[in-house]
Amino acid sequence: MIKITNLEKVYRTDEVETVALNKLTLEVKEGEFVAVMGPSGCGKSTLLNIVGLLDDPDSGSFLFNGIEVAKFNERKRAELRKRNIGFVFQSFNLIDELTVFENVELPLIYTGVKSGERKKRVEEVLDKMQIMHRRNHYPQQLSGGQQQRVAVARAVVNRPKLILADEPTGNLDSHNGNEVMQLLTDLNEQGTTIVMVTHSEHDSRYSHRIIRMLDGQTVLENIMV
Amino acid sequence: MIKNYFKIAFRQLKKNKGYSFLNILGLSLGMACAMLILLWVNDEVQYDRFHKDYSRLYQVLENQAYDGKTYTFAALPGKFGPAIKQELPEIKYSARADWGSRVLFTLGDKSIYEVGNFTDPDFLKMFSFKLLKGDTATLLTDPTSIIITNKMAEKFFGKEDAMGKTLKVNNDKLYTIKGIMEEPPPSSTLKFSWLASFKIYEGQNQWLTQWGNNGIQTFVELNAGADARAVNKKLHDFISSKDTSAIAKPFLFSMNEWRLRNKFEEGKQAGGRIEFVRLFSIIAILIIIIACINFMNLATARSEQRAREVGVRKVMGAGKGMLIRQFFSESIFMSLSAMLIAALIVWLVLPSFNTLVEKKLSFDPGNPVISGGLLLMALFCGVLAGSYPSFYLSSFNPVTVFKGLRIGKNSVIVYVRKGLVITQFIISIVLIISTIIIYRQIQYVKERQLGYNKDNVLFTPLYGKMRGHYPAIYNELMATNVVENVAASNNQVLSIGSSSGDFSWEGKIPNSQLLVSMEWVSPQYVPAMGMKLASGRNFYDDITSDSSSIIVNETFAGIIGKKDPVGQIITRGNGRKLTIAGVVKDFIYNDMYRKPDPLILFCDTSNVNELAIRLKANRDISKAVSKIETVIKSNNPAYPFEYKFLDDEFNDLFKSESLIGKLSRVFAFLTILISCLGLFGLAAYTAERRTKEIGIRKVLGATVPNVITLLSKDFIRLVVIASVIAFPLAWWMMNKFLQDFAYRIAIQWWVFAVAGLLAVAIALFTVSFQAIRAAVMNPVKSLRTE
Repeated sequence: MIKITNLEKVYRTDEVETVALNKLTLEVKEGEFVAVMGPSGCGKSTLLNIVGLLDDPDSGSFLFNGIEVAKFNERKRAELRKRNIGFVFQSFNLIDELTVFENVELPLIYTGVKSGERKKRVEEVLDKMQIMHRRNHYPQQLSGGQQQRVAVARAVVNRPKLILADEPTGNLDSHNGNEVMQLLTDLNEQGTTIVMVTHSEHDSRYSHRIIRMLDGQTVLENIMV
Repeated sequence: MIKNYFKIAFRQLKKNKGYSFLNILGLSLGMACAMLILLWVNDEVQYDRFHKDYSRLYQVLENQAYDGKTYTFAALPGKFGPAIKQELPEIKYSARADWGSRVLFTLGDKSIYEVGNFTDPDFLKMFSFKLLKGDTATLLTDPTSIIITNKMAEKFFGKEDAMGKTLKVNNDKLYTIKGIMEEPPPSSTLKFSWLASFKIYEGQNQWLTQWGNNGIQTFVELNAGADARAVNKKLHDFISSKDTSAIAKPFLFSMNEWRLRNKFEEGKQAGGRIEFVRLFSIIAILIIIIACINFMNLATARSEQRAREVGVRKVMGAGKGMLIRQFFSESIFMSLSAMLIAALIVWLVLPSFNTLVEKKLSFDPGNPVISGGLLLMALFCGVLAGSYPSFYLSSFNPVTVFKGLRIGKNSVIVYVRKGLVITQFIISIVLIISTIIIYRQIQYVKERQLGYNKDNVLFTPLYGKMRGHYPAIYNELMATNVVENVAASNNQVLSIGSSSGDFSWEGKIPNSQLLVSMEWVSPQYVPAMGMKLASGRNFYDDITSDSSSIIVNETFAGIIGKKDPVGQIITRGNGRKLTIAGVVKDFIYNDMYRKPDPLILFCDTSNVNELAIRLKANRDISKAVSKIETVIKSNNPAYPFEYKFLDDEFNDLFKSESLIGKLSRVFAFLTILISCLGLFGLAAYTAERRTKEIGIRKVLGATVPNVITLLSKDFIRLVVIASVIAFPLAWWMMNKFLQDFAYRIAIQWWVFAVAGLLAVAIALFTVSFQAIRAAVMNPVKSLRTE
């Protein structure tokens, strides 16, 4: 599903040049659950942004489902992204002015799903995440675990093939963290590919494969048994 | 989708109450202000448009050239109107009219003065004044009948039908009411309470038969398809073809322009009220722009808070276009809310505004023009105010905003925001300067040395038999002991109407033409008005001994150019010789801004219309007036006593200038208020953003004044930059404005200093509130919140 070859990304400010990705090569197959680990500043988040089509690489090749997307412009990336990729963030990134229902509904609005169908699908996924009773609440009224469940619901409502999770349990206690990891595992078992960036060895054990990064390169791969 | 946009817009409003309040208040004030101005502008533009054929209706004016100077008049010979209708096929209708006569109407013991016109029957056919009763075909043909307005009819007859009834006119003849007309609407240039046949006026004024005597108004309607330019060509020499000595060159003056473009200079149109219409339209747009700038600034200042939302939406699949639409919906939602409040404000202040501008403007949102205008204005504001924030906010990159967006000191948006604040203050400062200069100019002219004393003089018209009794009235008034002096004259001193080019004197350049104003006065006129003689003597008290003596003003004496003008002979066109008995020091009449034109005073009371009575100083005015009333009434019992004070009339001359002055003060105040609302909000965000910095500074030893200076400095710098740009701009504009006045003030530097300091002071006051709040905050608290 994802085939990355010699990918490079350099951030430049007036005086400093930071190499975030240094000729990185990586492959993720459909249905895999991959954890990306490494120290701060090793390029994990940059990798996730590029894989998530939020950012573009400076050079190298990125095949997404066999299509070369490294040179896609913003509009094409957005189009591909909204139909194929779901995101889960460490800080949830829910919109404070929208209710739980409306937050989850958002991706469907942007992909042009009709209102009746939207309602059905949002309710279905809220039910699955067991937060149906909170549908009319605003994010500030929820606990961290509940917020992340809403975020996961939002990530899956569009039935994406790929979910990218950036430290999904970073802001949660261990109980809530485990619940979210279980949700991701369930999704993976139902066929969704998952790439997760994490600092937590505990969380990484939910994955099939751990990729360790250092200074913009992959240095080690562990296959989980 | 739209529903979703508006939902979010509404929740944003609710969540940021303070911000929304500032934004909507500023925008509503700006919109209300613009609405009022546009109502006024619309009223001005709609003048006379109720006439069905307004595009084919004209008044005929004429130019007269004197020694290189061209004057424009509305006065035409009495024979002109009928002659052009007969001779020019393009003229469909033509109607002559006098200048509006004030006539006393009596029914039983009820006597009321009403102003109306003597005019030709075509008047009813060309203008769309509504005839309620009567027959257009026969009205104004017979010299014993009259048309009155419904309002006048009600005054005399109440609810009774006035048709066929009679009214006594000037205590003389009875006129039968044969027509009832609706009162001319407020938007009509022509105003009258009655209309009567022009034949009556012709019978009283024999000079109407002369081609060289210009004395009445003429209105025409052209046939459909007739070319006004072709008609003008034929009109140009029409009068001189009838009388070779006549110099009047007639031309058509379209009804479209009566209201707004009625100023003529050197025979050419030179604006008029249209300048006010333009000025105020520009002000309306500027005020709207200022209010929209507030919106843009506050919206972009809040961008750090909105950035995460933009990021999330983009990650969820929103394209830039969708986000732009979302932010536009928000600003349009905001401006629609502001419009509702603005409409409420307009509804509340319209009565006061009407008093201020002396109009009867109505604000009816049921009127599609009004509601359409409101909606258009809201959309315009929403799009203008939302434009920059929409494009700016929607351009955020999710990757950057999730990392934590901090807008640097040097980023483009900061410069744009500063530029917008500078723009607001440029407008404010220019308005402050203009307000001061306009006010000073008006005061300057009002305090001009007039050459006579306008205080304690009351005017009363000489009606009925009073003219014949003038010597007796004079003596009786002098005997009241409240009167210092009395004089009679043809016109009031503020508006001397007659003029002629028909004079010659020894040494006059042959064939040169000089237009000389003429006034007929009683012997005591010069001393009674408080005028001073430069040389020679005043008229003798015995009128008959001075029948061929004149007094000229200094301007005329200067033109004659003799060392001693007294004793010089001036010859009229008809050969009559007049001797200059005295020279009166120049006094200001007609145009308060110009030097007086040359003038001759004749000693002749046979045609006087006005009695000027100078009261003794420091007397009880109401007692003095009642004593005068007794005298006048005893000499003219059939007429009610009416009077006006000269200084009131004088102040009336500055009505439109005073209005401009008042309005510019109101608008300047509002502009500054709206700008300050924006500045206040901006200062709040700056203080909020710098909370941590302020905390650290305070921990390191910064005092409260240090912090206030830190926060205010940036804003004050913007106001100073605005001043530097505003000063030359205001100077240029005001210099142009003052060019229109021959008698004008010089622009002084202190006006700029005052305006600049005022703007800085206002800005400082606005910003310091937030600065002090931030400065006195406990640093422990502010550091913890970060």
